[in-house]
Amino acid sequence: MKGNNLGEFEELILLTVASLETEAYAVSVKEELEKRANRKANISAIHSSLYRLEDKGFLISEFGGATQKRGGKKKRYFQVTNTGFAVLKEAKELKENFYKTIPQLAIITI
Amino acid sequence: MAEKLLRLIYDDELLDDILGDLQEMFQDRVESKGLVKARLHYFKDAFLSIRNYDLRRKRKVRYNNSIPMLKNYIKTTFRTLSKNRVYSALNIFGLALGIAACLFISQYVSYEYSYDKFHSNHENLYRVKYMVYRGEDLQINCAAAVPRVGPFMKENMPEVVDFARAYPMSGVIERDNIQFRENRIQIADPAFLKIFDYPLIHGDLETALSEPNTVVITESIANKYFGRTDVVGETLNLYTWIEKTLEITGVTADVPENSHLKYNFLISYETLNNQTRNDDGTASSETAWGWYDFNTYVLLEDGADPKAFDEKFEEVLYAERGEDFEKYNFRSDFPLQPITDIHLYSNLLQESEPAEQGDGDTVFFLAIIAAFILIIAWINYINLSTAKSLERAKEVGVRKSMGAYKRQLVNQFLTESFVLNFLALSLAVILVVITTPFFNQLIDADLSRAFFLEPNFWLAVLGVYVLGSFLSGLYPAFILSSFRPIQVLKGKMTTNKSGILLRRALVVFQFAASVTLIAGTIIVYQQLSHMKKLDVGFDMTDTMVMRGPEVFAVDSLFGNALNAFENELKSNPNIEAVTNSSNVPGDEIFWTRGMRKQEDTREKNFTVYLVGVDQDYFPTYDIEFLAGRNYDKSFTTDTANVIINKATMEYLNIQTPDEAIGQRVLIGGRDKRTIIGVVDNYRQQSVKNSINPLVFPLTENSASFISVKLNTDDFQAAYEESKATFDQFFPGNPFDTFFLDEFYNKQYANEQNFSRAFTLFAFFAIIVACLGLFGLTSFTALQRTKEIGIRKVLGADISQIVMILSKEFLILVAIANVISWPIVYFLMDGWLDNFTSRITIGVSVFLIAAIMVVIIALIAVGNKTLSIAKTNPVKALRYE
Repeated sequence: MKGNNLGEFEELILLTVASLETEAYAVSVKEELEKRANRKANISAIHSSLYRLEDKGFLISEFGGATQKRGGKKKRYFQVTNTGFAVLKEAKELKENFYKTIPQLAIITI
Repeated sequence: MAEKLLRLIYDDELLDDILGDLQEMFQDRVESKGLVKARLHYFKDAFLSIRNYDLRRKRKVRYNNSIPMLKNYIKTTFRTLSKNRVYSALNIFGLALGIAACLFISQYVSYEYSYDKFHSNHENLYRVKYMVYRGEDLQINCAAAVPRVGPFMKENMPEVVDFARAYPMSGVIERDNIQFRENRIQIADPAFLKIFDYPLIHGDLETALSEPNTVVITESIANKYFGRTDVVGETLNLYTWIEKTLEITGVTADVPENSHLKYNFLISYETLNNQTRNDDGTASSETAWGWYDFNTYVLLEDGADPKAFDEKFEEVLYAERGEDFEKYNFRSDFPLQPITDIHLYSNLLQESEPAEQGDGDTVFFLAIIAAFILIIAWINYINLSTAKSLERAKEVGVRKSMGAYKRQLVNQFLTESFVLNFLALSLAVILVVITTPFFNQLIDADLSRAFFLEPNFWLAVLGVYVLGSFLSGLYPAFILSSFRPIQVLKGKMTTNKSGILLRRALVVFQFAASVTLIAGTIIVYQQLSHMKKLDVGFDMTDTMVMRGPEVFAVDSLFGNALNAFENELKSNPNIEAVTNSSNVPGDEIFWTRGMRKQEDTREKNFTVYLVGVDQDYFPTYDIEFLAGRNYDKSFTTDTANVIINKATMEYLNIQTPDEAIGQRVLIGGRDKRTIIGVVDNYRQQSVKNSINPLVFPLTENSASFISVKLNTDDFQAAYEESKATFDQFFPGNPFDTFFLDEFYNKQYANEQNFSRAFTLFAFFAIIVACLGLFGLTSFTALQRTKEIGIRKVLGADISQIVMILSKEFLILVAIANVISWPIVYFLMDGWLDNFTSRITIGVSVFLIAAIMVVIIALIAVGNKTLSIAKTNPVKALRYE
């Protein structure tokens, strides 16, 4: 594996799942992403990211309720794991470190 | 469908909730955007999911899907390829040859089958045949029907959507002193351009052929006469039995090569009607029931059944014509013939392009040969790769002991097969591209490279590729993967008895096919030379024929001009004799009449073919008189006399030529003539046609052809002089000549091409078969290395060893011969039955083929066996 580096899209997804708390499954993630980040993504892209993140151990999933609307199919709810939060934090800190080294930005933030 | 796709993409583990997600989104969209859009979205989502194909699958243990292994297989493939350069080259080259040959043939075959399929109506277009029976006897079986039948069908048969007639002509076309003799002139109904797909570039489809004295020409003709294509409104002059100035009302694209009906000029039908107008205002080119020169095409409704149509029309026709049928004791029939069948399955009188008519049997034959060659090539591949398997045994052993599954090994060898086949295929395609012009020249075909752009072609290639790789890879793959690791690593080769048997059977098959092709080639060649050497009954050497002039001022003067012209020619020392006639040998005769003895009843009428000749015809062509005399200028009454050939005499039921002299006959019901001479049968047409009854009326000025017998070797000078004389007497006429022997032998062009193609493919087959034999010999020699070593130690000399090694395959070749003989005999005997004069298949053919194959095989393996026989026994015995 390429280590724990997060792609930009993956980071977004991870953040979305985190913000949705217990209501995160593919469709809701997609909608949230559209609402908050104004990012349009195809459902298949969301699927592939979610499952990859799970493979990396940043997410765990469990089956939730089925509704009529879903044709009787179960939902798979995702939650961010501790490692997931750690990676998010790490990514944030990494970026902040970089921001600090940019003089103009440093001045503005101060 | 989208769901199926998803099932393919996702693992069962994931499928459920993903399907649910999509379903939910679908429902949302149905509410917000409507059903159709929601469906489209659903489909799009499913389709885009293809990117997730490998999602989660990696976790499972699978044998075959790891890309690194595939890379490794390909790597080993190339390593083995470069390790055994000769082997690999042989293997790939053999396969490439086979595929290339197969591509060539299939190209040709598909071209032959493509005739007339470019018409968008081709499934509902039919040509109306014309058949005349007298009693039970089929007297006329003709491609061109009578002018009345087309309109009559449209009036009386509701199935007929439209009809078009095409009346072929030749003549001289002139514009501002540019003039050419043109052969492909058709007089056509206005509907012609509508039912067929000959698109107009300029002009109006609705009116193009509706007015008299108008003409539609092709693009290349427009360029020929005007240097541009936008020529609507210009005029051309036509000189033939119709002389008219024609206004151009349309320009069409050139007629595709794969059209059975070809034209350069389409003249409006009204033009012809004006020429044949009777006193009462009707035109016989609309009303005649007996003038059969009109190719008639009908377009039926969708789904109309031609069989039922024929039956129904027979009744309708009888209602109209029954009275005449009874009165004159004949019956005519107009069955429909699908236009797509015309090129390959029709061989009637007055075909539009008789020289171009294909032969369905031959084409089918070639298709079989193509399949044969491909199979031989695959077998070869199997042979060579199995032979090579010994060298790979250790590799297999090592792989197996490292934990490879059998299935992985099978995959490995199949991969190899796919790579090799791919290389061979690429090479084959390159070969085809490079040699297409050469091939075209060789068999006089017109294959373009355009087929490379057709998706169907690539689909077929892909199919052949996958099938071939799989079939040819499967056997070696299973043989190789079934080696037992312990044994092969110990160095002990297990030789599978049934495997060797199979390989021998394959070699026998290859050689049987080669022998068949070689013997076939010899027979085709023998028949060809037989036909050429055959006594045709007349002398065609050193004969130059010029087409008679068509542009001349006044008819009555023409006879004088022609006479003077001939006398002028005769005075030339290079010219031995001159004659004019309505036909020359090698030409199809369209001039027919009914004929009977004067005292016979009408029922005795039979169809004869007429050739108008002058007094010099028989001496010039050196045609032998069996009885009686030639026409003579000193007899003025000779126009009431007639000369016939022996076939006519037999039809007249006269026993000997002498008896025939002085008999009175009726030609065409009215023309009474006395027989003054009987000539021996000669071959008016090639051996493929039977000898027809011929009648030679004296027509001094018919002059369709002027034949000149030269008595010099300097043809060029004779040609120049004749041209000068011709131009002097007939200014403004194109000087159009050919040499009779060439013209006559053109009738065999089909057979000649067939024989060339046959030779070529026999050559392919034998090369490929030799490659296979080479592989087999190397294989057995390798196995018997120790045996040979011991034999040599015990004192066997090289020649004995070679004998031992050769014995095995000689037996195989012998078996192959025996198998192929009956096949050759039956196939070729059937082919030879197409000819009225044919050779019998002799034993020599088989002997020659057998000896050839043995010699070629010996050469192919000789080097290898010799080198094995020469090896130092010490090396051989240290082998383990």
